[in-house]
Amino acid sequence: MTARDPMPGTSQESPLLEVDGLSVEFQTRDGVARVLESISFSLARGQTLGVVGESGCGKSMTALALMRLIPQPPGRIVAGQMRFEGIDLLGLSDAAMREVRGNRVSMIFQEPMTSLNPVFNVGEQIAEAVRLHQRLDRRAAHERAIEMLEAVGIPAARKRVDDYPHQFSGGMRQRVMIAMALACNPSVLIADEPTTALDVTVQAQIFDLISDLRSRTGTAVILITHDMGAIAEMADRVAVMYAGRIVEEGSTADVLANPLHPYTRGLIACAPGRRTAAHGEPLEEISGTVPSLLERGAGCAFADRCREVMPKCRIGLPAETRLAQGKRRVLCWLHADASVPGAGGAS
Amino acid sequence: MSTLASVAKRFAYALALIFAVLTVNFVLIHAAPGDPAMVIAGEMGGADQATLDQIRVAYGLDKPIVEQYTTYIGRALSGDLGQSYIYNQPVIKLILQRLPATVLLVITALLTAIVIGTLAGVWASRRPQSLGSGAVTVMSLVGYSMPTFWTGILLVLLFGKVIPILPISGMRDVRIYGGWWVTSLDVLHHLVLPAFTLAIVYMAQYSRLSRASMLEVLSADYIRTARAKGLSEGLVIWKHALRNALMPVVTIAGLQFGNLISGAVLVETVFSWPGLSTLAFESILGRDYPTLLGVLFFSSVLVIAANLMTDFAYRLIDPRLRNR
Amino acid sequence: MSDTRQSAPSTPSPTAPAGSAATVLSPSKEAWRVFRRNKAAMLGLILLGLVILTMLLGPSLYPVPAFDISGKPFTGPFEVASLPLGSDYLGRDILAGMVVGGRATLAVGLAAAAITVSIGLTVGALAGYFGGWVDELLSRVAEIFQVMPSLLFAMVLMTLFDPSLTTAIIAIGMVTWTSTARLARAEFMRLRKLDYVNAARAMGARPVRLMVREILPNAAPPLIVSATLIIGVAILFEAGLSYLGLSDPNVMSWGLMIGSNRKYVLDAWWAVTFPGLAIFLTVLAVSLVGDGLNDALNPRLHQR
Repeated sequence: MTARDPMPGTSQESPLLEVDGLSVEFQTRDGVARVLESISFSLARGQTLGVVGESGCGKSMTALALMRLIPQPPGRIVAGQMRFEGIDLLGLSDAAMREVRGNRVSMIFQEPMTSLNPVFNVGEQIAEAVRLHQRLDRRAAHERAIEMLEAVGIPAARKRVDDYPHQFSGGMRQRVMIAMALACNPSVLIADEPTTALDVTVQAQIFDLISDLRSRTGTAVILITHDMGAIAEMADRVAVMYAGRIVEEGSTADVLANPLHPYTRGLIACAPGRRTAAHGEPLEEISGTVPSLLERGAGCAFADRCREVMPKCRIGLPAETRLAQGKRRVLCWLHADASVPGAGGAS
Repeated sequence: MSTLASVAKRFAYALALIFAVLTVNFVLIHAAPGDPAMVIAGEMGGADQATLDQIRVAYGLDKPIVEQYTTYIGRALSGDLGQSYIYNQPVIKLILQRLPATVLLVITALLTAIVIGTLAGVWASRRPQSLGSGAVTVMSLVGYSMPTFWTGILLVLLFGKVIPILPISGMRDVRIYGGWWVTSLDVLHHLVLPAFTLAIVYMAQYSRLSRASMLEVLSADYIRTARAKGLSEGLVIWKHALRNALMPVVTIAGLQFGNLISGAVLVETVFSWPGLSTLAFESILGRDYPTLLGVLFFSSVLVIAANLMTDFAYRLIDPRLRNR
Repeated sequence: MSDTRQSAPSTPSPTAPAGSAATVLSPSKEAWRVFRRNKAAMLGLILLGLVILTMLLGPSLYPVPAFDISGKPFTGPFEVASLPLGSDYLGRDILAGMVVGGRATLAVGLAAAAITVSIGLTVGALAGYFGGWVDELLSRVAEIFQVMPSLLFAMVLMTLFDPSLTTAIIAIGMVTWTSTARLARAEFMRLRKLDYVNAARAMGARPVRLMVREILPNAAPPLIVSATLIIGVAILFEAGLSYLGLSDPNVMSWGLMIGSNRKYVLDAWWAVTFPGLAIFLTVLAVSLVGDGLNDALNPRLHQR
């Protein structure tokens, strides 16, 4: 069970997924909200990219944009490009995009309790994807469903394949979701806060499962979470998002050891478990809240909460700073002079 | 195992209800002002003393009330709902004669309402702010507010005078004579207008209900999952969404059987459809109380049966309710 | 415990637009604001007002007795000046009938709705609040009434007892209370569990007081909407009964007009169309108002 071989014509070196300057707007009653601003990142084959940030920073929106699942009437992709295995995702027809979804790029969501259809048994929900994308007949698809359930650690899979979602616990349902997502051997799995709604003990199990499956199949993973611990353990690279922008990105080891953006520093500092606070002292926190996406000025959205804010932060943003041969990026005036010459920046 | 037990439980419960309705019937006879014997005899020109005495003995009206009650229940459960003094036949026979026509009418109307109502509601939910959706809402409000008998009469007007393409009265054309197929077609031909009239009010309700239900279902997480799996919009709507959205409609529809029978009273009179309600009406005119009460009782039994079936149907559709 | 409205979590009121100096209105004023903006609901209200106005002033402005023979039978509408809407098969003035008929229809409709709501609310509240055997018992009773087809039951009642308006009112009330009871029961069951009720009970409030002062104001919105719709149902019911000739034959009502002229519909379409139109418009008006109230009192998502 391995992730699909690359399309003919693309080399092993070229990134599996390339996002460049992606911007998304939402039409609300009170105006236009820019929920994603110039998002750029790339994902190599087999790599795991973590995306962290507070609620509302646009992490889930990025995932939905990748799958082209953003509801079109209020939402709109207004700029940018997304290339998957060299194919321009935004240029695909609806039918072609549907072939990609669930098949080459899969997604699992945050709420396992409500993400499965209550009136169909789990076997049918898994088999459906397989029948659709891999053109297997009913029996073969059914077998595949059982196989997947076993792979994600559901005991007595052959019996349980006919059970309904309400007969599973939250953690088991999330396993079913994972089984469903991986059934067609996608190259990319997007996991949008897969454990946030689960008990702490179950959270670890799910992360272990994703880890295990990933190493067995070589699937690239985009892990969206606010759990810095999970990022530290699982992600090769991490992107930090704030108010619709990626403010910092780099290899996990680097970013955690040497966070550049004040927001990243705050996030790391207030993750429980970090021994920055002496025992008995209050946990660190980043005061303030995320500003409304309707009221963005031209300046840095983090300015009001930043401890190292400078007057020019409120006026505008610098071009993106690239360091370490482009492997590290940060969007902050504090590091604006350290950029490698010749590096372009997202506006 | 537990399914069998719950089925048995429901049947027992239904029987208890039947008992209760019989009791109400009994109370009505005796609570009505006047002599129960006269109520039973019907004020058909005033039965004479001899008949009244006969009735008294036959119904045990001279006996204590409890004994009367048990006699009444006993007779009813064995199928003896009394004798019609107008037609001079057992009530049960009259009822069974007219029953098929009403059942045909009511079931056709219900199915039509469910199918058309649901389709309209789903269609409207796909384009929430559009003119079409608004039209469906308006029409459902209109349909709901129109008195059934008035709608029927208007249709009679339309098809009686303006475009005479559908029969406006009765169930059969006496001139048509033929085999099973020809007869059925004839009945269907006559069924169109009455069934449609009866269905209108419910179509209105179900289209609103299914539209709202569909909108709610379409915003559910599992629909997002279905789309993320790459399913076509058609599959998402007709396979994943519809079954969930239908559940409220089915529940409500099943519970409205009683209302449908009531509505059938009005429709049957407008179109002279030879059903139970026409029988009820005739028995009112003729003060034939045994028949009238017999019809009431029998209709209640029908409703109880319908409720039972809806209960089972609901379990079939929603797996969460099985094994309860 | 002075003002229960504040202490209770009321149904969520629509939030003031972002950025405005948030003038928080009381729930009822807020509801009225939403209602006023709903064009359909306002239309319904106006229509209803017209009907009531006609009912009150009509007979004085157009004092033709409805049962009198006013002209030639089967006169069409707009043909003769003295019979603006024509005459029926006996020669009675249609317009007069409509003007007078509204009274019976509306009176019965409102009174019956009042009875329905009273019975339904009481039964439902008791069942929902106390639960247990009280609930079991009352629910079974309600179910008995629910399985008997309402119109048939009403017909039986009107036949066995003397067919007057009062009997009609009581009969309609008796057959329609079950849906209100179900709603009330659900609401009271839901609200009973909320914390503020427990708090009041811990302070020693007795059940009746709890039900009336704490729960009822919060159960009111859906019940008010339901009551409005019940009025429509009652009107249709009254129309049905008088159409079948089961109501008081000495009182003119719209249903009676339709019923008595039914046989002649192909020759005198106006005699059944206009009264029916009146019933339709009245029920439509009531339904629109009810819908508007629903939106105003139970605001949920902004989208529809």
